[in-house]
Amino acid sequence: MFEIRDIQVSYGSVTALRGVSLEVQRGEIVCLLGANGAGKSTTLRTVSGLLHPLQGEVLLDGRPIHRLSPEAIVKRGISHVPEGRRIFPGLTVRENMVLGTSNRSGVTREDREADMAKIFKIFPDLDRMKRALGWTLSGGQQQMLAIARGLMARPQILLMDEPSLGLAPILVQEVFRVIKEINAAGGTTILLVEQNATMALHVSHRGYVMETGCIVLQGPAKDLLQNPQVRDAYLGGSKGPS
Amino acid sequence: MTPETSFQAYALRRLKPGHLALVLGAVVVVFLPLLFPSRYAANLLILGASWGIATLGLVIVLGYTGQISLAQAAFYGIGAYAIALGTTMVGLNWWLALVLGLFAATLAGAGLGSTTLKIGGHYLAMVTICFQIIYTLITTNWVAVTGGPDGISNIKRPPFLVPLTSAQRYAWFALGALLLVAGLVWWLRDTALGRAMRAIRENELAAEALGVDTRRVKVTAFTLSAVIGALGGAIYASGYLYISPDSFNFDHAVSFLAMALVGGSASPLGSILGAGLLAYLPEWLRDLKRIYLVIYGCAIILVIVFMPEGLWGYVKLMGRRFARPAAIPPTHRAMQVGSRGTAGEEVLRVENLFKHFGGLKAVDGVDFTIIRGEIHALIGPNGSGKTTCINLLSGLYVPTSGRIHFLGRDIVGLRPSRIACDGMARSFQNLRLFRELTVWENVLVGAQRAGGSEAEVEKRAAAALEFVGLRNKAHETCLNLPYGHQKLLELARALAGQPEILLLDEPGAGLNQTEKQELIQLLKRLNEMGLTILIVDHDMSLVSQVAMRATVLNFGKKIAEGTADQVLRHPAVVEAYLGDREVALGV
Amino acid sequence: MTESMSMVGQLLFAGLSIGGVYALVALGFVMIFRATNVVNFAQGEFAMLGAYALVALWQGLKLDYFMAILLAMVIMAVVGLLFEITIYYPLRNRTFLPVIIATIGASIMFQNGALAVFGPSPEKVRPVFGTEGGASGVTLGGVFFDFQYLVILVVTALLVGLQYIFFEYTLLGKKMQATSQDKDMARLLGIPVVFMIALTFIYSSLLGGLSGMLVAPIFFVTHKMGATLGLKAFAATICGGFGDVRGAILGGLALGVIESFGAAYISAVYKDGFSFLVLIVFLLLRPQGIFGEKVAEKA
Repeated sequence: MFEIRDIQVSYGSVTALRGVSLEVQRGEIVCLLGANGAGKSTTLRTVSGLLHPLQGEVLLDGRPIHRLSPEAIVKRGISHVPEGRRIFPGLTVRENMVLGTSNRSGVTREDREADMAKIFKIFPDLDRMKRALGWTLSGGQQQMLAIARGLMARPQILLMDEPSLGLAPILVQEVFRVIKEINAAGGTTILLVEQNATMALHVSHRGYVMETGCIVLQGPAKDLLQNPQVRDAYLGGSKGPS
Repeated sequence: MTPETSFQAYALRRLKPGHLALVLGAVVVVFLPLLFPSRYAANLLILGASWGIATLGLVIVLGYTGQISLAQAAFYGIGAYAIALGTTMVGLNWWLALVLGLFAATLAGAGLGSTTLKIGGHYLAMVTICFQIIYTLITTNWVAVTGGPDGISNIKRPPFLVPLTSAQRYAWFALGALLLVAGLVWWLRDTALGRAMRAIRENELAAEALGVDTRRVKVTAFTLSAVIGALGGAIYASGYLYISPDSFNFDHAVSFLAMALVGGSASPLGSILGAGLLAYLPEWLRDLKRIYLVIYGCAIILVIVFMPEGLWGYVKLMGRRFARPAAIPPTHRAMQVGSRGTAGEEVLRVENLFKHFGGLKAVDGVDFTIIRGEIHALIGPNGSGKTTCINLLSGLYVPTSGRIHFLGRDIVGLRPSRIACDGMARSFQNLRLFRELTVWENVLVGAQRAGGSEAEVEKRAAAALEFVGLRNKAHETCLNLPYGHQKLLELARALAGQPEILLLDEPGAGLNQTEKQELIQLLKRLNEMGLTILIVDHDMSLVSQVAMRATVLNFGKKIAEGTADQVLRHPAVVEAYLGDREVALGV
Repeated sequence: MTESMSMVGQLLFAGLSIGGVYALVALGFVMIFRATNVVNFAQGEFAMLGAYALVALWQGLKLDYFMAILLAMVIMAVVGLLFEITIYYPLRNRTFLPVIIATIGASIMFQNGALAVFGPSPEKVRPVFGTEGGASGVTLGGVFFDFQYLVILVVTALLVGLQYIFFEYTLLGKKMQATSQDKDMARLLGIPVVFMIALTFIYSSLLGGLSGMLVAPIFFVTHKMGATLGLKAFAATICGGFGDVRGAILGGLALGVIESFGAAYISAVYKDGFSFLVLIVFLLLRPQGIFGEKVAEKA
């Protein structure tokens, strides 16, 4: 339902993505792995409209979206939870979540409350801290809030950029549990960018591995978990100059 | 080669377009008052000259150093009142009064400049405005001393070689002073101090990390601009023979700023152009008298939006083809690196280093040691604290606790420029080049920190450029270089100061495979020359090819150290990069 | 009440009232700064333009006073929008220095435009209650409560209250807060950021214009009136904590009171200087102001 075809993206004179292609089917969790600087975040930012590709296309249900602005793209149902959580520090948990519905028109108060109630079931901690200001939340709680806020948009696809970054191991488990639950219970399609390859592959259906701006491996998550090349992609290993 | 031709060759080589401009300027100075001998015209020339001088002061503080000053009219006024009070009330010799005025301006400028140590940006703008307004309040209200709104009249002219009684003669005097100051400001640009100022404007953090004492340079910039402003005011006072506080208020401070910007704040000639334009605008738009200031305000906006470099920026663009850049000295000796120590000694020792940002523990108890002559890698996943470590080592951050010993001395709490001058050089993860400066000028700033005469600085810079292979690109602006070459330039800039240790923050980021191989070769050569290197990077292939030993961080703590091979096979390291298998299996 | 107490009361009342005007202008500053990170040196000129708009409509076109105020507000809204389009928008990605200079250029344009259109002689406007030239009010306990000063205080309190309600309790207010806290994230959620910023400029222009109309009957309306007003308001925001709404209000009120007492007990001549002295002290000792946070650059 969602496809990236051969995109090339540059930051000034630096080519970040050289011909990246991938696809995500409805209801799947697909992860995008790779070491730092491989181009994972750049890929997500191109999908959500913060960047535009020099070449190639991004298609949602067959229709091109790569020339649209971020506001237009989120209206079409692609919700981006960016790296670094980025919740609004001066607003409460509730307010952050309410703003998550900004992409939908004609939302009534009842709709919002209903959605929030549903999401609070997945994030009971947030329910407890409804009235707390964003900056008072811990890193883990902020990450949960960012995800919850992304869900308030009733997205067709949720793009998640390194949700486990900087979190203590036990919180990392929590985050991945939540990802699984969102997908299982709500059927939300997820494109997940992660550095924590093992955890990501355990919750995903399929995966892609990136290295210096290209996809170098892809396949079902189970297979990738066993694949020694995955490890090499992260640790360099025996690969010399190509 | 006969002595004649060699002298000619030498003279031609040393002659720059600037020299020609000065000669032309002298010609203009001589002819202008001849062409316009009437009293009225001569007065306009005097006004233009004194405004031009004041604006030249802004060139130093704003154009070169990038610090906003809305107090220039106050300094202009200090000079004017010094002459006025000195020659009328106190009966001093004009030149003595001038010196006292310049001295007062020095104190005021240094005082204002020292506020930059704590603040910058809009806050600095506010402080300069306050200073300006308080100055006006005092001159308007302290009637006993300043004469209040009535001002001071019967100001004397300076005793000179010939009596300066006529307006025309004084116009010559004023224009001559303008030429002199213009020459000085122009000369300043290419001195070590001038380069340091321009480096601060481009990227203050990088300048500090390369050994420029940004604190001292900023105060100097303010002081110089104040002194020059005061000189302009002194000339104005003796030109018009009468002053009142109205000529030195906030509106005039804004005018000076506008003149600098419209003409082109980084260029002496441009600013003079701007000053002249504004002095004569009322004349040319005499019919539009009521709205010429509206046009002026509108012009400021248009210039800012469409011509950020001012009118002179256009001229420069066209004149680029005619510019003959300065010659680069030939490299007799290959580049050298710092060699003060003995083999096997500890160059860097980090003990129990902690850095907390509020609740975030970026570095949480790290120890490691770097031996002279080794290439040491600091690796770890994103967010593990590597860049924070480099920032702590180079002095950009102060540790929450812990010790850092560099060449045997504890450097915690020292300014980054001091640490850089002691022999530590670094590159930045996100390139921090001095963008408006040429390749050559960038490297010169790096070379300055090792001291010595201008010739020695140039030799070191040339050697460093040659080493990275950018010698033939010396006069390009950095922005025109491809990304790979920009990274090499940052390296050359760091090397030009003959460092004892080089800290590289992700030198391989953004490079393609070929460029990475070239980088690896460069690093190996540097190591053979005896340079100690600390490298932070994510590319394990690069790291494993150059590093001898490595330290691995995760969540701010050290999780492994040893030779590069050992470390890359260490289970804790593999887990840190791939994720915890045990924990994952529990999901 | 004793005479000195009533004097204190009088000074306090006057100080708070003028402080209210400073607070309104300061609020306009802060709103723009929070949304766009731009320091608007032409903020004071919005006050001047508002006052002149009132003069033109009430005195020039002889409209009914309250009708004139309403129309003048509409004019100010348009001014704010035009300002955003021509000055902020083209420079939105540049560093702060060009923007400061551009707003200074705008302030020069406004000041001299007003001078060209209305001439240099000061204009007088009637107060809300009463007629032109008369100060009407009521005396209580030895303190003369001028109605215009009262109006200023009431309007300031009302506006601050309404603004609080708007930002805390309406969705649009929340969206604007979000825009000023993290513009890019707001875009990612689908918040129309450009529209939010335009609204901010319109609102700030209205605040400025309104404060000019309120203070016009007390002082003369001249093309220069915005300059000092703007600078003092700026000083107030810095002392209160730059970028903080409470700081703007507290700073404005405090500065008004300090000026009032300073002029009476220290020196009337240097009255304008007190604000700047206080400002310098803050800038040197506590640049972040009362409510501000320390700002550091990340390497």
